[in-house]
Amino acid sequence: MLQESKGYGVISQWLEKKDFHPFEFQEQTWEQIMHGHSGLVNAPTGCGKTFSVFLGTLIQYINEHPKNYQTIAPGNLQLLWITPLRALAKDIGRAMEAVLEELSIPWKVGIRNGDTSTSERQKQKRKVPEILIITPESLHLLLAQKDCSSVFAHLQWIAVDEWHELMGSKRGVQVELAITRLLGMQAKKKNKISLWGISATIGNLEEARQVLLAPLQEEGCIIRASIDKKIEVHSIIPDEISEYPWAGHLGIKLAEKLIPIIEASNSTLIFINTRGMSETWYQTILNIAPQLAGAIALHHGSIEPELRAWVEDALHAQKLKAVVCTASLDLGVDFRPVDTVIQVGSPKGVARFLQRAGRSGHGPGEISRLYFLPTHSLELVEAAALKQAIVENKIESKDPLLLCFDVLIQYLCTLAVGEGFDANTIFQEIKTSYCFADISDEEFKEVLLHITQGGIALNQYDEYHKVVLEQGLYKITSRKIAMRHRMHIGTIVSDAMLKVKFLGGGYVGVIEEYFISRLDPGDVFTLAGRNLELVMIKDMDVLVRKSSAKKSIVPSWNGGRMSLTANLGAILRETFNKALVDETEIEIKSLRHLFQTQAALSKIPRDNELLIEQIESKDGYHLLVYPFEGRQVHEAMSAILAYRIAQIMPISFSIAMNDYGFELLSDQPIPVDDSNVQELFKTENLFADIQKSINSAEMSKRKFRDIAVIGGLIFQGFPGEHKKARHLQSSAALLYKVFEEYEPDNILFRQAFRELMEQQMEEHRLRAALERMYHSQILLCFPKQLTPLAIPIVVDGLNRNSLSSEKLEDRVRKMQEQLSKS
Amino acid sequence: MNAPIPYQIQDQTCWISPQRAIFWENQSTLLLSDTHFGKTGHFRKNGIGVPQAVFQEDMQRMVDLLGFFKPERLIVVGDLFHSAANLEMDLFAKWRKDFEQLELLLVMGNHDILGDQCYQSNQIAIHKGIFQQGPFQFVHEPMAFTEHPDSGFLFSGHLHPGVSLSGMGKQNLHFPCFYFTKTTCILPAFSRFSGTATVKKKKDNTIFAIVNHQLIEIAR
Repeated sequence: MLQESKGYGVISQWLEKKDFHPFEFQEQTWEQIMHGHSGLVNAPTGCGKTFSVFLGTLIQYINEHPKNYQTIAPGNLQLLWITPLRALAKDIGRAMEAVLEELSIPWKVGIRNGDTSTSERQKQKRKVPEILIITPESLHLLLAQKDCSSVFAHLQWIAVDEWHELMGSKRGVQVELAITRLLGMQAKKKNKISLWGISATIGNLEEARQVLLAPLQEEGCIIRASIDKKIEVHSIIPDEISEYPWAGHLGIKLAEKLIPIIEASNSTLIFINTRGMSETWYQTILNIAPQLAGAIALHHGSIEPELRAWVEDALHAQKLKAVVCTASLDLGVDFRPVDTVIQVGSPKGVARFLQRAGRSGHGPGEISRLYFLPTHSLELVEAAALKQAIVENKIESKDPLLLCFDVLIQYLCTLAVGEGFDANTIFQEIKTSYCFADISDEEFKEVLLHITQGGIALNQYDEYHKVVLEQGLYKITSRKIAMRHRMHIGTIVSDAMLKVKFLGGGYVGVIEEYFISRLDPGDVFTLAGRNLELVMIKDMDVLVRKSSAKKSIVPSWNGGRMSLTANLGAILRETFNKALVDETEIEIKSLRHLFQTQAALSKIPRDNELLIEQIESKDGYHLLVYPFEGRQVHEAMSAILAYRIAQIMPISFSIAMNDYGFELLSDQPIPVDDSNVQELFKTENLFADIQKSINSAEMSKRKFRDIAVIGGLIFQGFPGEHKKARHLQSSAALLYKVFEEYEPDNILFRQAFRELMEQQMEEHRLRAALERMYHSQILLCFPKQLTPLAIPIVVDGLNRNSLSSEKLEDRVRKMQEQLSKS
Repeated sequence: MNAPIPYQIQDQTCWISPQRAIFWENQSTLLLSDTHFGKTGHFRKNGIGVPQAVFQEDMQRMVDLLGFFKPERLIVVGDLFHSAANLEMDLFAKWRKDFEQLELLLVMGNHDILGDQCYQSNQIAIHKGIFQQGPFQFVHEPMAFTEHPDSGFLFSGHLHPGVSLSGMGKQNLHFPCFYFTKTTCILPAFSRFSGTATVKKKKDNTIFAIVNHQLIEIAR
């Protein structure tokens, strides 16, 4: 029994002295850990979830060493605490150290992540701390050390914090793989590792447990904290709403409304969806409320570590009134002084919305207060939908990823850099993970071939060199390749950054490839407060000259690509039912004018209807469809529809989409009318049409970029090897082209296609969506001008796909003719 | 072989080939740029498994061009080899032996970092800076030398020119291209394992886009 154990006695005495009373879920967790079991703790942040697992391990340790737990330290790693965020590590480490000191347990706590200094690493190497708080990337870096098995030799507990955030991402797969290895290392020893996940509420907690514990091959348990968190959501309503959703950059205009909220609160976190916009917001708030100077700070991923640490400390110490931040402060850090959160722009999902709301009002019984500030007026509908979702407790699931060969390839190279691996042992190990449970012998062989022989080669003229087989062990023997691999461990692929330089030399800054690749030479853009004219892009450098042009383009960032979840989409469709009918909700009421315009020009779709608009403009012929299924589904569906229409006649489309609908744009009238419109949504031949549309629209191209980086095909260079490294650089688009043409069977190239099929074009899900639309009442309208629903899609069309059934040569000729006419 | 198109420069006849080459008929000279031979090998040697078939195809295309035009001389205006020597050089050397009669001149580019020995053994004459032959001049980097209209028409490479076309309905297409002004020509990169840098159609230049296996002159 827990209560009778020595460890429990020590811990509960200590808690009592501090007048803390353990929650039921904490005691349940302790009991499970005491018996060496594994499981998943489901608790909101700020409710002692860290203590549920951490104190549990201490109880077990004291029970095992009742006499000398205060006098002798084990001197080796006992508890590995995996956390996705660097910002979390320090916080948790500090809390743990305080407990250990008060209990006089002589353990050391170490932190290992990208911010850890080399000297600290050396110290950890000489003497491994009892507790190591680590990110998934740094854990893999440890596995790339020659002596890694000795580091983990006495490991007893693994805790994975924020598991809901990791699962469903490639970082989650990294964690899964690392766990199979850590368990594999213990296989021959007696001690059994117990594995604990900590997760916020998601729709599929059971599955989350299954995925995490799969390598243990035991059931484990889920312990739920029954703590009811009160959440208050307020929308910030503009005084005046134009008929058009995007008129006048609504977001920034509303900045003034934030000041009274900030001033009335203790500390406020202001979440912005993208890094670029966070800079703009920070500046704007300072401009309109100069009195906040010094009491407001900026926090995002590309800010220097020291500065970030300072902001975090200042937040703790209640020195800041507000912090403008991105997802960098999304997770689990408990900044007690924070009592208000402002979300700028749609959070795109219920779970993320709750997560952010939960950053405020941490203490048990306190209320989380969140203000929603729309960046365009239609987002107010999303706010209404989100509120409804919270009432109905409709929280999304996170789908675990399967068979991520790019991550596997990286992992195998990591092991090859470290102690080397035996193919059979590792094959058996990875098969215990959820991600690779279904990997076939052939697939594993193919992966091994990829890392040892590198695909298609010209036998005697080939010198492919990466992983070699030496006395039964796969190893990386080249120091250069090993070093390069270590630099590239990780699965977070940020957009490629290009250096911006003046023609005559002189460095300006860095800019995202995504933005710059859309500019033509001669275009003027703003960077670091200067107007610059693009001269050309050469290698990885952007060459510019100063410009005195008045008009310039301000870089836009990628963050806005996040998709509305399907879950929220359904609630959104229902919310539109209320437009002009039920105005009890302030958000719906304030949009009356916009809805009236939409209704006058076209129609407002109810949830049993599908609105399709055909509009002619100076850009060409637009076909707009509004399924409200989220950007991801729309990308798939638009490709299928474009493909099907292109079968009727040779036609070319440029395709844009947002969370509400999508646009097919052509230079010629689109052959869709009452007689054939319903047929476009039929589910016969769906599978074949999906495959063909993916290929014609080259949709896997974007997926391939991440895969190529994770799988080690794209080399980003590292300091000190500038010149030589340049000869190894190539863009993802070029590699895609080369593989498509010369080696379409390549395992990484195929994965891009497969990921698309599984995550976005999943037949089952698309079939259900198409089925729904096929049976909806289709409203085919021909508005005279772009409607309020259409404008955000047409305007926001940076990320366009294209699909054509015309011959390339014909298209070029047609373009030439169009130009000579105009 | 898709038909090359004739292009008159001063009193000289040149043929532009959609296989990314120019044939200078009067001097029986084939002109290539940025072949980047050995690039796939360089990547592979460093553990990046790109398919070597690209290199093979590039070599084959060069052989096809030599068979078609039967030139006496081949001029490469820079970046013949991508980087340090590797085994792909052996395939190149083998090809070189098969075409022993062919004179080969390399106008050195920034990627041409091999030792002189390497060029000698493959009977490659090398030239640094501007090479002059009759009314024509050849150089690697077009930017490195200001135009001298008096000293002759200048052929160069280095840039890997490409052209973007846009049409109604926000359609965009992008192709590698030949870029001509009155006094210069920038060749497209011969290697298919290479990106492009966008050039723009202006009043006083002529652009031929390589569309599949055809050349299409860009009007605007």
